[in-house]
Amino acid sequence: MSTIDTPADPAPDATGPAFELPAELAIETGVARRLIVDFIRAQLRQAGFERLVLGLSGGIDSALVAYLAAEAIGPEQLLCILMPYRTSSRDSVTDAETVVADLGCPSELVDISPMVDAWFEQPANQDASALRRGNLMARTRMMVLYDRSVTWRGLVIGTGNKTETLIGYTTIFGDSACALAPIADLYKTQVRQLSLAVGVPETIVRKAPSADLWPGQTDESEVGFSYALIDRILFRLIDRRRTIDEVVAEGFERAMVERVDRMVAGAEFKRQMPPIAKVGPRTAGVDYLYPRRRPRASAS
Amino acid sequence: MPPIRVALAQVAPRLGDLAANLERHTELLEEARAEGSDLVVFPELGLTGYWLQDLNSEVAMRLDDPRLVALAARTRGISAVVSFVEESDDHRLFIAAALLEDGAIRHVHRKLYLPTYGLFDERRFFAAGSVLRATDSRLGVRLGISVCEDWWHLSVANLLALDGAQVLINVSSSPGRDVAVGHREGLGTAASWRSLNRTYAQLTTSYVVFVNRVGVDESFSFWGGSEVVGPSGGSVFQAPLHEDGLFHAVIDPAELRHERIANPLLRDERPEVMLRQLDRIARARAGDTDDEDDR
Repeated sequence: MSTIDTPADPAPDATGPAFELPAELAIETGVARRLIVDFIRAQLRQAGFERLVLGLSGGIDSALVAYLAAEAIGPEQLLCILMPYRTSSRDSVTDAETVVADLGCPSELVDISPMVDAWFEQPANQDASALRRGNLMARTRMMVLYDRSVTWRGLVIGTGNKTETLIGYTTIFGDSACALAPIADLYKTQVRQLSLAVGVPETIVRKAPSADLWPGQTDESEVGFSYALIDRILFRLIDRRRTIDEVVAEGFERAMVERVDRMVAGAEFKRQMPPIAKVGPRTAGVDYLYPRRRPRASAS
Repeated sequence: MPPIRVALAQVAPRLGDLAANLERHTELLEEARAEGSDLVVFPELGLTGYWLQDLNSEVAMRLDDPRLVALAARTRGISAVVSFVEESDDHRLFIAAALLEDGAIRHVHRKLYLPTYGLFDERRFFAAGSVLRATDSRLGVRLGISVCEDWWHLSVANLLALDGAQVLINVSSSPGRDVAVGHREGLGTAASWRSLNRTYAQLTTSYVVFVNRVGVDESFSFWGGSEVVGPSGGSVFQAPLHEDGLFHAVIDPAELRHERIANPLLRDERPEVMLRQLDRIARARAGDTDDEDDR
């Protein structure tokens, strides 16, 4: 496999390359950074807001968004909220605190354990699966962010990346809920590349990505293969519009390609607004199509 | 003939806010005049913003709209190319680019090719123009005006040049995309447009003036990078990517004359050959008989 930064092995070896970057996924980080920073500013201006609120987990995605948002609007306008659950890794909070200290942005620590536990302590919910628990945690964080967005007078900025959005490794109305999604067209490997370019601490770039829903969980062990490999397959299926057979002909394992394809297809609903039953003459999102914000007739 | 000073208005229109955009156009028109420009060129839909969707009819102007007439009235002693949604008498909505000069609307080009693929959805919201004409101007050169996607169809530059255009003006709202390593200027879209502009300038031995907007509409970031290419294909001026501003370049009619005499490609064009073949091809594509032996 051809790589840019050397990397053969994403092992957390402090002297080795930070991550594996397949050549076809390498991006011009200067241009990407400019596009995204301008995008954040423009979305705020159009919506009539000056501030942002962000859920900062200690992972790479929210760290990258924090750096880009701080660059776009200044750190004092960005509120970072750390929302650990009692089983969250202590390192996550430490890493998030490092980002906050480095950027100099306001932050809050909200322990979501009482809110989440209140639900799962109910007799009917005590045997809830890890998936249900993880989803409720994600949705609890969403509630906190949207409630604080009112008092902070800021928009909720999303932290989803293209890989998880495509394979559906996300909680609908949970971590996917946001007012703007600045990095959702960057694959995980590209998130890593841009993160290094904008100064996200290398410890965060190097550590194994994790939803941190239970101790020791990592994305790659849960999904079963590496982000570099998923990204290479997604890039071919989605961006290059290649068929499964064509991707297999390039040397990728068929079972893997088919599995990625199934994950993408199965998550289509997560990427779209719910369908409205068409009854009237003009229906939102169907044949009533407007930009998200537009000049309004003056109130006078 | 003296050089023509061109101002490239690489602006970021406010989406759907005609009043704000008219004000900005007026400011830049006056700034260009104050700096001695002969021609100021604004980008595609500079008066309205690009991703209008159902706002299309709300921002549309007829050619006798008082706001457009007032803008045209400011062009005494200067020429301007501006772009907006034009509503025709029969209420079709066009993406239009107009040449304003000497206080009046001198020429209107209605976008011929409306991309409705990939990220584009123009045909849903707009009617396609069906006329392509070069136009005389007070600048002493003939202009060929086109809008964005028109440039992705080979015939447009050729027809405008054959119709006498010496300066080909393309106004665009080109969304930037593809930041893969390896593209010139770091952006796939920019690299593609540079090739087009250079190729058309060289093949038609004309100046190419390309003005692309900046700013963001919804998901799309427009990359700017407006430029002027000389009649031999050499770069005359390139504005920076993504920067809002009024940029200046000079077109030298003497350079055009030199190039066309040294490199008489236009002289040797064979429109009658093209016409006969196009007639045959159009009939074949329409399902009529193919005249294989028409040689």
